[in-house]
Amino acid sequence: MNVKITTLPDYTLLIIEGRVDTTNAAGLEKTMMEAIDGGCTRIVLDCTGLNYISSSGLRVFLVIQKKMISIKGHFNLCNLQPGIKEIFDISGFSSIFSLFADKEAAIIG
Amino acid sequence: MDDKLNVKMKIMIVDDEVDLEPMIRQKFRKQIRDGVYDFVFAHNGLEALAKLIEQPEIRLILSDINMPEMDGLTLLSKLKELKSPWLKTVIVSAYGDMENIRTAMNRGAFDFLTKPISFDDLEITINKTIEEITMIWKSMQEHDQLISIQQDLQTAREIQQAILPKTFPPFPNRNEFSIFASMTPAKEVGGDFFDFFLIDKDRLGFVIGDVSGKGVSAAIFMAVSRTLIRATGIKGISTEECMSYVNKLLCSESVSCMFVTVFYGILSTSTGEIEYVNAGHNPPYVLSGNSINRVDMTGGIILGCIDDFNYSSKKLKLNPGDSLFLFTDGVTEAINRNDEMYGEESLIAFLKEYSSHPIEEVVKESNLSVTRFSDGTPQSDDITLLAVRYHGLL
Repeated sequence: MNVKITTLPDYTLLIIEGRVDTTNAAGLEKTMMEAIDGGCTRIVLDCTGLNYISSSGLRVFLVIQKKMISIKGHFNLCNLQPGIKEIFDISGFSSIFSLFADKEAAIIG
Repeated sequence: MDDKLNVKMKIMIVDDEVDLEPMIRQKFRKQIRDGVYDFVFAHNGLEALAKLIEQPEIRLILSDINMPEMDGLTLLSKLKELKSPWLKTVIVSAYGDMENIRTAMNRGAFDFLTKPISFDDLEITINKTIEEITMIWKSMQEHDQLISIQQDLQTAREIQQAILPKTFPPFPNRNEFSIFASMTPAKEVGGDFFDFFLIDKDRLGFVIGDVSGKGVSAAIFMAVSRTLIRATGIKGISTEECMSYVNKLLCSESVSCMFVTVFYGILSTSTGEIEYVNAGHNPPYVLSGNSINRVDMTGGIILGCIDDFNYSSKKLKLNPGDSLFLFTDGVTEAINRNDEMYGEESLIAFLKEYSSHPIEEVVKESNLSVTRFSDGTPQSDDITLLAVRYHGLL
């Protein structure tokens, strides 16, 4: 897994590539929590390169989403690969996350 | 493990010179009074061995070489046979007696002092040796703790396996249906589970689940989930009521957002109708001859996330001979050496081939199919399978 964080004036852009699984989920959670604790209230997560997510990974997304809701922030995901979109649909996550077709929509959304 | 070490560590001085004892007691009187050192005296190797048996808290031995009855070098050999990792011997020899010193070191002496003894040097040597002994003792204790944790994990695994049904066929008097299941954890303990129970004469409840993450925390959450579903389901309420209720309870229990995907169904043994809720679980397949069909989703979110979520159920019907095949993502996401996933396609192809085999074979062969595909690649997720076949009223 590769994570790239860029802090922009209006939002924080997060790019995750590769696999999010048991071995790296805790690290990802720490990185994202640090960004939120650092004051970011709008996260755009570009999932173009995300090709696998395990339940541990979903848990991290859920933790972040709950945190963002509690601080009235936004956690917008975009460019989900079909396999990842299916996991979101099956788990019911599609109904509690803000999913966008592309980055532009996620930035505005 | 001897945990007295921190409290009291005895030092044994072995020397045939009787003057030595009062001298040591005089020199170290402060340390003795303060309880830093506790000395024992022996006058030859044999007596030293006897005292060692009497007083196992002796950890450090300072021994002369030339003594009657049993000399210091023989004593060293005997001590070596004890193989005690925290018993250290410092040998005291005549100045320049390199040959004996070498022999003593080769027989396992930790250090040596030369006569005439400098008490400052003696104190440094004692302290250095005690430090070493303490370090060894600590690492031995940590090692023991690790072993004990491993034993705990093994026990947890046994408990976990014990709460899953394991007698098959579970209802030998029932001819309208057959059921078979298996769970293979990836680590010592897993987060997957399955269960089934007769609610009444006409209704069979069955469930498969997968807790986020693995290891001990997942196993505890799994045990709680399984127990809640069984205790609630067995009351005979609808699947949607059951899932909504269990979800609420799990949300209040859920520490740091643990969750569980669950498929819960109730089979009417007289009609073959199944009422079910899919709470975020991989959709099962209905096997009907050669046709393998995914069960419709019910829009339910995984349990343990949103506490006021209302789950809704759907119905499907098994005709006599049809089966419902449930699995966890450990099956479809099993990988081989080339990092390829087993995938839904392989599973469907397998099911097409085996759908008419006895239900037990479907499950067992499916496990084998995944094992063959993985070809030695370590299992990264728990693998759980559950299959129910409806035979109809005979």
